[in-house]
Parts: sequence; structure tokens; C-alpha cells
Amino acid sequence: MGAYRHFPILIIAVPLVTAVLMPALSYRRERLCMPVAAAALSLSTMLTFLLYRVVRPAADGYLSYHLGGWDPPWGIEIKVDFAGLFMLSVICSISLLCLLYSRDYIGRELEGGRAFAYYSLFLLLSASMLGFTATGDIFNMFVFMEILALSSYALVAVTGRRNAVRAAFKYLLMGAPSSIMVLLAIALLYSATGSLNMAQLKELLAEGAYSRVVFASLVLMVMGFGVKAALFPLHSWLPDAHSIAPSPISAMLSGLVVEVAAFALLRLFLSVYGSGSGAVSGTSEALGVIAAAGVLFGGFMAIFQKDFKMMIAYSTISHIGYIVLGISIMNEQALTGALYHLLDHGLAKGCFFLCAGAFIYQRGYRRIDELKGAARRMPMTCTAFALAALSVIGIPPTAGFISKWYLIWGSVAGGKYLYAAVYLIGSILAAAYCLRVVYYMFFVAPPPGVWEGGPGEAPPLMVVPVWVLSLATLVMGAASFVVINRLQEAARLLL
Amino acid sequence: MDRLLDNYHYAAAAILFCIGLYSVIVRPNIIKKIIGLNIMETSVFLLLVSMGWKDGGIAPIHGGGAEAAAMVNPIPQALILTGIVVAVSTTAVALSLVILLYRQYGTLDVDRLMKEEESESAPAGAGSGEG
Repeated sequence: MGAYRHFPILIIAVPLVTAVLMPALSYRRERLCMPVAAAALSLSTMLTFLLYRVVRPAADGYLSYHLGGWDPPWGIEIKVDFAGLFMLSVICSISLLCLLYSRDYIGRELEGGRAFAYYSLFLLLSASMLGFTATGDIFNMFVFMEILALSSYALVAVTGRRNAVRAAFKYLLMGAPSSIMVLLAIALLYSATGSLNMAQLKELLAEGAYSRVVFASLVLMVMGFGVKAALFPLHSWLPDAHSIAPSPISAMLSGLVVEVAAFALLRLFLSVYGSGSGAVSGTSEALGVIAAAGVLFGGFMAIFQKDFKMMIAYSTISHIGYIVLGISIMNEQALTGALYHLLDHGLAKGCFFLCAGAFIYQRGYRRIDELKGAARRMPMTCTAFALAALSVIGIPPTAGFISKWYLIWGSVAGGKYLYAAVYLIGSILAAAYCLRVVYYMFFVAPPPGVWEGGPGEAPPLMVVPVWVLSLATLVMGAASFVVINRLQEAARLLL
Repeated sequence: MDRLLDNYHYAAAAILFCIGLYSVIVRPNIIKKIIGLNIMETSVFLLLVSMGWKDGGIAPIHGGGAEAAAMVNPIPQALILTGIVVAVSTTAVALSLVILLYRQYGTLDVDRLMKEEESESAPAGAGSGEG
């Protein structure tokens, strides 16, 4: 093991420390901010992928780091198991790509030495997501969640435009009470068990004492994280925030931030409350119904949007429904599907928003009408979008197909045929809203005055991340065998 | 009833929580909403600190022959300390957004902000800046 022992904390600490150094760096060398931020995230990414050598999907296959040398349950534990490592690698890689994409985009949005604030907040966001995923202490999770929330409010408003500030404030007004609910849930859980360490909590909760307090805390947790994950009735902040934020931030918010909240629900259900407990089985039944409603609602709303980014935002609501529905079914296949969908959703939605950003950066086009005939001038971006759209719909051999396969398999295996139907209808809705855009891009002549003259393809540092993401959906689908069996093993262990 | 009277601090926390939630949801003024948020946070702190308290408890410092049973539980207090820091940061971010909002819209009334939102999104949908 050796040096690997320290990797879990380094993965989080490197971007966190670099984030704080950004303002100081900008004082002397503004131009270095972006390369230094990229270097920090690359280091985290590298360390994360190196961990695949030691972390295995086995009962003793996790890495545990004791902060400050205080042993758990007294000290804070950072625990990387296989499912967590999978999420960490998704977060690291997509953050890095979004950061590279930001150079040109943010360079123009935030001129005159204001970009350092963006990079500082970006690194804070990445570091807090990594910490949020990796921590084994429930109060530490709350603290990381707050860093995550505050940096994302600020990033939505970072341009300082009228509607951006309004969207950020709306996000805050929904996000802050949800954080307080999570804190209240933690307080209740502590009063019932006297512990904050997840592993110890699971053992103590299995004894079944104070079942009503525990149930209340679980409901509060689900409500709190439901807002953060934009679960269907609690989603109203998402379309505004995701469509108005700068596009690389939209990609981060949609591809990662809502996802880590869904991952937190999975952690809570399986690693804290335990899948056997009555509280979890009752809550997950209800959650399944809500998530299924979200799949259909998000899909329907996406069809009727005129704004391209708004459409992607509603599609996000639908796909978060997929993930939460998979978690609520609670069997091995559905969980594998939900975990794999975290990867697929991050890649595909990240690619969608970065494509939208490329159109906005080059031409200022936001409406779907304006994308008619886009493929004539920006063929690379449009092709990447079409590839990612295949994954969102779930056509083989993309990653979206693999995750949907497991999700549907899981719902059939669990006897929930209705949920399998919901997944299929969700795919049809996705086909409706994605293929409309693809059709416009490739097969419709541009309306007069649109796409005439002016710049064509986006700069290389914007096209490359878009293509990496969209090819990754294809590769992770065709080559899913590299990880899917181990993921299924990890899902079996979690249950 | 006796259990409620013995645990009056929990009842106080619950009432404070509801007052805070009420002002966050109902009050149209965004400053009052932020005050409501702070009341909500305070109610959770009250719940936590009263959980660790015991009557006549002493500071949890070992040495001098103090008995562990006589000490108050220090963990909730440590949690609240962190919680207060989090609450202050949230308030700071919220207030700085309020300043920006007031500069841009010239109002602190949520109803009027929502009207502005409708009038902004109605004509163009695309016109309201890029971003």
C-alpha cells in the first residue's frame, strides 16, 4: 500500500489548497491561474486513477484515511471504496475537461483580471465534490456540501448579469433551507445514536432503537438532498440556474453537482441507514414514485422548450429521475445501472452543455430554431452533439444503453414492471427532444440571416473537450466490460 | 405532557424552525427571507446544543479528578461552531447577491422580481444576454 495511503486526502486537498492560492497568484501572474488550476486538477485525476490499483470491490478493498491521526469513530475518516472511487474518477475527469474548456469561454466573459475568481471557485467546487463523495463522516459531508453549494451559487452569478444574479439567488433560496434540513437530520441522527461516523452509524442503526427519530431524520435527509439533486417536485431552481450559468458551469452543475447529491442519497440509504431497515424501504418506495414522475415530467418539458440550454436542463431533471429510480429499486442490477448512469449522464450532459456553450461563444445562438443548419458551419460540434444524443437516448453501443439495460433489468428482476415501462418511455421522450435538435442541425436549411458569414468552428481548446466527452460515451459503452463487472460487485457489497 | 415540559428546549427549537421556514417561504422581502434562514439555522443550533447539555454539567476537561459522567457533551458544541461558520458564510453570500440584485433591479421585493423575470423571458428568450 505504502504511499497510496495518503492519496484520498491528497485528491481533495490539492485542488482545495490551490483554490485558496488563486487570488494571491492573480496578484502577480493573472495568466498563470488557468494552467495552475488545470495542473492541480490533473494531479487529482492522476491520483484518483492510480487508486484503481489498490481499491477493489471487496469487503476489505477500501482505503481509509484518518484525518489528523484521530482514529474513527472519534476522528474524521475519509473512505474510498470502489463505488466512491468510480464517482471520484467521474468528477475528476469531467471537471478537468470543463476547466480546459473554460479558458476561452471565461477569458471572454470575465475580462480585465476577474477570471481568477472563477478559477478559484471552480477548484473549490471540484474539491468539495470530491470531499463530499469520499468522506466517511456525516458531519464532514455536511460541511463539504455547504462549500459545494456556496461555490455553485457564486459560479451561477459569476458574470454579474441581471438574470444570472436572479437565478443564483433563486438557487440559494431553495438550497439554503435544504442544507438546514440536512443539518437538522444530522442532529436527530446524532441524538438517536451518538455517532457521526458512517460505518459506526450503520452498526448502531441496525439495532433499531429510536426508530421514529431515525425515520424523521431520513425523510429530512431525502428532502434536503432532493433539492440539491433537483428531484422532480423540488427542481424549480434548476432550469434557471443551469440555463443561465456560463456553459462550462452548466456542464459542471448538470453533469456533476446534481449527481453527487444523488450519489449521497445512495450512500445514505446503503452505507448509513442500511438497506434492511424499515425507514429505508418505506422511503425508497415513495422516492421511486417521485423519481418516476420526474423522469416523465422532465422529458415532456424538454420537448416543449425553445431555449437550447433550457431543454438540456429539463433533460437533466429527467435523467436524475433515472438515477434515483434505480437507487430506489434497491437491487444489484438497478444499482449497477444507477452507478453507471452517473458516468453516462456526466459525460453526455457535460457534452451537451459544452456544445451549447460553443454555439453561444461563436455566434450567440441560444434558441433551438437558430441551430437549423448548424452542421454546415460547425460540423465538429454538431457531430459530437449527435453522438452524445445517442447516449442520452440509450442506443447501443453507447454508455447510455449499458446503464439503461441494467436499470431495466433491475426493475424487471425486482418485479417493478411499471418502472421498466417508465425507463422505456423516458427513452422515447429523450429521442423526441434530442433527435429534433439533431434533425435541425443536419437536415434543415438555415433560416435567412442565420449562419451567414461570421466565425465557424470553435477554438480547439473548446472542441477537444466536447469530442473527448462524446467519444467517451461511445467508448464507455463499447468497452463497458472494463468496469461494469467490478461495479456490479461493488453494488452487491453495498446492499 | 410531562415529557414535553421536560424537553421544552426541543419545543422551542421546533417553533423557531417553523418561524424561520415561514418567513423564508411567505415574506416577499428578500432581506426578511435571509433573516428567516438565520432563524432556521439558529433553531438547529439550539436543538444540537441542548442535546449535549446536562444540568450542573462541567466543562469536559480531563485531569483534576473530574468524572466523565458529570461533563457536558462537547461534540454538539464543536458541531455548532462549524455550523455557525457555515451559516455566516451562507449569509455573506446571500447578502452579496442581494446587493447585486438591488443594483440590477432596484427592488428587494420577490413579487416584483418575478414580474421582471416574466417580462425578461417573454419577448426574446434569447435576447437576455448570453452566458
